Amino acid sequence: MKALRIALAQGTLLADTQVALAAAGLATDALADGGRRLVVPSAEVEYILARPSDVPTHVAHGAADVGVVGKDVLLESDADVLELVDLGYGRCRFVVAAPAGSVDRSLDEYRHLGSLEVATKYPHVAERHFQGRGIQVEIIKLNGSVELAPQVGLADWIVDLVSTGRTLTENRLAIIEEIAICTARLIANRVSYARDRDRIAALASKLETWASSAR
Amino acid sequence: MKGSLPRGFRDILPTEARELHAIERFLMSAFARYGYVPLEPPTVEFAESAVTLDERRTVRFLDRDGRLLALRPDVTTAVARVVAQRYPQADATLRLAYFAPIFREEASMRGSEREYDQAGVELIGDATLRADAEVIALLAEALASCGLAAADIDVGHVGFVDGFLAELPAEARAAAGEAVRAGDLVGTVALARAAGMSVASAAALERGLRHRSGDLAPARAGAPESSQRALDTLDALGPLLEAAGIGGAIQFDLGFIPALPYYTGVVFQVTVPDLGFPIATGGRYDGLLATFGADRPATGFGIAIPHLHQALVAAGWQAPADSPLLVLAPDGGDGTTTLRLAAALRGAGVAVAIGEVADSAGQDVRRARAIDDEHLEYEGVVRPLEAVIALLAERGSR
Repeated sequence: MKALRIALAQGTLLADTQVALAAAGLATDALADGGRRLVVPSAEVEYILARPSDVPTHVAHGAADVGVVGKDVLLESDADVLELVDLGYGRCRFVVAAPAGSVDRSLDEYRHLGSLEVATKYPHVAERHFQGRGIQVEIIKLNGSVELAPQVGLADWIVDLVSTGRTLTENRLAIIEEIAICTARLIANRVSYARDRDRIAALASKLETWASSAR
Repeated sequence: MKGSLPRGFRDILPTEARELHAIERFLMSAFARYGYVPLEPPTVEFAESAVTLDERRTVRFLDRDGRLLALRPDVTTAVARVVAQRYPQADATLRLAYFAPIFREEASMRGSEREYDQAGVELIGDATLRADAEVIALLAEALASCGLAAADIDVGHVGFVDGFLAELPAEARAAAGEAVRAGDLVGTVALARAAGMSVASAAALERGLRHRSGDLAPARAGAPESSQRALDTLDALGPLLEAAGIGGAIQFDLGFIPALPYYTGVVFQVTVPDLGFPIATGGRYDGLLATFGADRPATGFGIAIPHLHQALVAAGWQAPADSPLLVLAPDGGDGTTTLRLAAALRGAGVAVAIGEVADSAGQDVRRARAIDDEHLEYEGVVRPLEAVIALLAERGSR
């Protein structure tokens, strides 16, 4: 039988993901050797190490059967994948934040000018959120250091991903609203989930048991 | 830009076009064997007619009258319109088949095409389970007639999940239904739990969503009444598919929930190994035609031709060989001899191209040279016309 292909997000989630997969009975030693290989064959699975934002794409196209990636990435990507298990770790929040004490002023400005400028690394999440709220915004896509934008007059508000919120506080930003709480998810390609149900459902069950005992 | 194409559109070159034509012939003749007749709707519809798809996914433009038009995003919409306008008598059973390009707006850089061929059938006016079995059997037979092996048919029923969600308040039910169609099973269960679904029901729902086998009994525990009825329907479908000759290829899959919201009963998809997208999807959509003013039960399927073609080519498939193409080198005279020979060969059923052929689309090509009105040089030997025709007929029939 063909090895199950698992796409893993490199970066902060990887260490916890290794623990989870090991708890589900998969061999993860090959991942631990710190090599620079991006396709890592293991006992009955094959790991693909990818940038987090590419994991949903790999899975949606069937290049990987399943994947482990943050809900934040899924919300931003819109990829057509199945979301099977909430793994519980990698917890972070999408929030709307504004310079502390300036919320009233910016809302006043919104009434005058009819639009707010929002800087973010996550334009889809931001756009969908404000559309749902019926607030008209101009999204300014940045690739980093979003918390700078209000300070330098680039934007009124920001939409960003926070775990502790310390970066926001240090930059004198206050959370106005929480958009979503995000944790790591086990995702699957729709066709792989149909054709390889036994293996994928077994993996999902084991991971779910592990996640609920860790909660 | 000169020489470029809009994103998501492409040229289909002769070799592929020939293969696609072969696929079209196989499919349409399979559809015809079940009594399905072809329907050819126009490429453009009013944008407001295209209700089966999210409006952001239709390719839209204004015409000179200021009306908003859409390139057809599927053929089902057109079928619904035709049925309402042209076949208003409510008891008419219609079997319609199509093979046509459809147009979908796709986000850029997704590797997705905006135009591709879709083939399918719609069976209108028959609410029986026998009709569900008929279209599934037809789908299996149509794909097999193209030479597709190793295909799996997953059969599910949207009523199974709907039965669990029915106990929720309306708003939560809609949100959970949307989540399950989007593939977010985590979100579905979370929404259902938050709206008051019991732990036991949530566990039974999750168990059901993971269930794929010929035996539905394990999914029954803890399932509400209307979900049980969906399972009864599938249990009754099994022997019908068996009788239709395709029992072996079927798996019941309660986790298969199509992304489109209009399905109401038995649903199915076809998958093959090593292709991340289904080749075909379909099912019963009894409420859809009512939105066009023709309230009729209906079931059908659509085959994504690019995915079918990709699966066939990956399995080493080739378009069936036509009789060989004879490329005839002219004799150096004024052309009358060459044209006379070519006419005689074509009269005898031989395909002839005079001169050179830069792209023969993968056909079996033979070469000959005109000598005089009665003779050709073929395979290094000057032979009489009849002898060449006989040789080609022999080769062609092999």
